[in-house]
Amino acid sequence: MKETLMDILCCPLDKETLELEVTQTDQSQTETEIIDGELVCAECGTKYPIEDGIPNLLPPDMRE
Amino acid sequence: MRRREVRRTYDRIAEHFAQTRAHAWPDVERFIETETEGSADSTALDLGCGNGRHAELLVPHVDTVVCADLSRSILETARDRTGGRTVELLQTDAADLPLRSESVDVAVYIAALHHLPTRATRLRSLDELARVLAPSGRALVSVWSTVHPTFEATTGFDTTVDWTLPDGETVDRFYHIYDPEEFERDVRDSAGDVQDVFTSNGNCYAVLGTDRD
Repeated sequence: MKETLMDILCCPLDKETLELEVTQTDQSQTETEIIDGELVCAECGTKYPIEDGIPNLLPPDMRE
Repeated sequence: MRRREVRRTYDRIAEHFAQTRAHAWPDVERFIETETEGSADSTALDLGCGNGRHAELLVPHVDTVVCADLSRSILETARDRTGGRTVELLQTDAADLPLRSESVDVAVYIAALHHLPTRATRLRSLDELARVLAPSGRALVSVWSTVHPTFEATTGFDTTVDWTLPDGETVDRFYHIYDPEEFERDVRDSAGDVQDVFTSNGNCYAVLGTDRD
């Protein structure tokens, strides 16, 4: 995912702001791609993993 | 929980499913051509994107295309089809969208709402779609319908439909097959502002706007 996507993302549960924590990026293209990291809801603290460029924004009870 | 089962099913059948969904639907193509005219800096959402066959039509017309699906494996097929980084991929539940209100200018939600197991969940999903639509944004929603020749019933019903993998193994998928009156009632009961409702090729369609137009 690109960092600019943060402009439209929110927590699926309470629709509050997500904070981006980046573990790995790919800067080989014109726009930096976030490969691995985590999105954390600033309000409820729920964590959503980003793995291989795909954020998993399923509510926790839908993940497994 | 049935939605988790739908996710697991699509995770399993993703690769084969993607191969069998080669072409975009003409009704969806027409909608995209009409709604993306002159909207180069806008954001499009393909909800329940599957292999990305409709997202790829959106790519040339808008600034950002968000492909959202419950199944991670399906999202990977959408990434392959749309050529890597031209789209943004999101693993989401269609009834709890992780998108800000009024952030989407044009949306397609094709052949996916019918996988949600209860009317309450389907209405919530339509409400969420209306919430994320920008003022004057438009969404095209389609579901499988009793008007399709496969079905004898004339009123909506729940069923499971087998998917047969190349090795002969079958995996079933939950569907709510809508009748046209029921579909129209549901879209009118949602937070979306109904612009148009029609049936085509065995599917029911609705064009939704917002009452913030």
